[in-house]
Amino acid sequence: MSDVTATHSTAKVTVSPEEFAFVKYDATEIATIVAELAEQLGIANPIRVVVDETTPLAKVYEEIDAASSDATITLHAESGALEDRKHPMSFSPTGARESLGRILLRAHDRMRTDFADAPGDLDLTLEQNAAWDTYCAGRLARMGVETNQQRWRYNHRNRFGFNDDVDEMFDRLWSSDDLGWADVASGG
Amino acid sequence: MGNAPVRSDTESTARAPFAPWDRRDIPGSFSVEETARRVGNYKWTEMKLFEALGGWVATVPELDVKMRLGTHCYHHAWHADLWHKRLPELREMKPERLTVPANEAMERFIEAMTEPEAPELTIEKLVGVYRVLIPRFIAAYTYHRNNTSEITDAPTIRSINFILQDEFDDWRDGEMLLQSLITTPEHVRRAAEQQATLEAIMVEAGGITGADSIGTGVTTTTEGGV
Amino acid sequence: MRQFFPVEDLARDERFVQTNMAERMKDGRTAIDVEKTSSAKSRGASKRLTPDRHDASDAARGLMHGIMVGEIQALEGAGRTAHDFATGDGTNDTVPFELKLDMARQAWDEARHVEISAKLSDWMGTELGEFAENTVLFEAACSNDPILRLAGVNRALEGLAIDVFTQMKEFGDIAGDPYLEFCEDWMLADEVTHVKMGSDWLRKVTANDPDRRTKALEFQQVVDKLFSFGGARGESEESSFSLAKRFRELAGFTDDEVDTISQMDHEALEERKEAVRKYRERVGADA
Repeated sequence: MSDVTATHSTAKVTVSPEEFAFVKYDATEIATIVAELAEQLGIANPIRVVVDETTPLAKVYEEIDAASSDATITLHAESGALEDRKHPMSFSPTGARESLGRILLRAHDRMRTDFADAPGDLDLTLEQNAAWDTYCAGRLARMGVETNQQRWRYNHRNRFGFNDDVDEMFDRLWSSDDLGWADVASGG
Repeated sequence: MGNAPVRSDTESTARAPFAPWDRRDIPGSFSVEETARRVGNYKWTEMKLFEALGGWVATVPELDVKMRLGTHCYHHAWHADLWHKRLPELREMKPERLTVPANEAMERFIEAMTEPEAPELTIEKLVGVYRVLIPRFIAAYTYHRNNTSEITDAPTIRSINFILQDEFDDWRDGEMLLQSLITTPEHVRRAAEQQATLEAIMVEAGGITGADSIGTGVTTTTEGGV
Repeated sequence: MRQFFPVEDLARDERFVQTNMAERMKDGRTAIDVEKTSSAKSRGASKRLTPDRHDASDAARGLMHGIMVGEIQALEGAGRTAHDFATGDGTNDTVPFELKLDMARQAWDEARHVEISAKLSDWMGTELGEFAENTVLFEAACSNDPILRLAGVNRALEGLAIDVFTQMKEFGDIAGDPYLEFCEDWMLADEVTHVKMGSDWLRKVTANDPDRRTKALEFQQVVDKLFSFGGARGESEESSFSLAKRFRELAGFTDDEVDTISQMDHEALEERKEAVRKYRERVGADA
């Protein structure tokens, strides 16, 4: 495990594995990025980042022990989610910020009482997952994290349909900042 | 036909072979032989051009230029095919025999035009095609269209009209690409130098079909002209 | 301009980063389950590129980018074949005039495909050069024998394009993406034409040269296997896309040829699994 506590953050971040064999990633760099994101979001919880480096796929999900400020947040990422797609097997700080930031925001959401009904990440339907991704990606963009809106619009359309109503739903979720789970699940 | 209306005896169908607005006429500047010679020169040059454009696609880094070259490559291949098919109609049963450059200078021109290969020489590549060769094509085709017999050589005119449309469109594409690429005094110098170098060889060649390309040089023949 | 153009010199703007098959094969990661030896499901899910995959839109974006750079290389390959050989009767490294015309036509078609792919990338939220460009496609277009190029490019590469476009068209259809489905349908029509072009010229030019035909078909098999991308194409659920048999028939592939490619795809998948197993043993990782 690589333990990092960024000076400007109170969150203790650990990364697994500590040394990467399949990809050229640096656990300390990952931990620093997550600590910075946590600082921006005001998250002080201990955070575990678990990277599956044996697959190039890019699934990410989070788990949180409880909705409290001392519960451990676990961020799971397949290696593709942190990868520089131009240079396979190399790390992308931009991609990592975007992928890990998105699920860190979810963990942040889960600490709200109005997210108590939200299913665990692995139990979300494809549609619920897409709606929450849109909500998170929009907020990330406003936090200054490099995010391609059209990529998320396309993802959203794939789940809900290619029509104007769906685009309006996307725009609502993207531009919102203070939604509960029921709002997210119903499209903002 | 059974239901045709009954024509009155006084209603004649006899009309002049040429309507009053049809002013086409027989006289033309080129014999069959001379036309075949010109068409052979057109085909050779169109071939060299489409081969060059095809070859250059891999050498230019600018994506929009790459795609235009691929598109224009086919336009010129189609022109070469039109001329290839026209030659037997002009009594040349072995089209390869007349598929030749107008002269040695024309051959040299193509060699000089296709010399640039490096990825940083897109301006030089485009100048050769769009500021020297294609304007010469437009000139030679226009001269041919306006001076050949509108009746006896109608098939050539029809092909030239289609081809000229392509040439104008492609020239405009190429010129606009050049204007977007030439943005510094150094670019201007490079474009002008390449144009001057190639233009000098083209002047030696006299144009696509040689000295008589647009009727201002030595006319090789007017045989058959009426 | 040189007669033959090496793959290392392909000109790209600074957004594009190129890689090759050897580099890609150094990647010990895999999405397939290396412990399975048949077509069983891996990691609990099908790898077929369908909208119900959890990463469907990103997977489609990645494949679409691969298609775009493939189209760029196909454009370059067709252009080079129009350029690199003298006109002749097809012997002694010459090519018939009409074959050159076909290559020029293909260059135009591929240029349109690049245009279409660039528009689609924009639609899907992909930036030009966002993914590494594998130059394997152009490598197949580098042979000094024009007939080997036709076998490698028109039969193997364009055949692969038929398979990929069919999958993407279906993806667009199921997802209800009218733009994607429309574009893929049109590109698919062109690819069938290109494969047929390759099949016809291969037969014509080698009509009196059976050795050359055999060599070309062998080369095509090598390229076909390469284009399986370690089993990315195949009948198994572990493969992202399958062989588009119906469209391949339209393009002039015989049943035997389709079966052979299918078998090679399967072998490529198993070989890839074996390579990954060995890699994992070497790095001591737990698969």
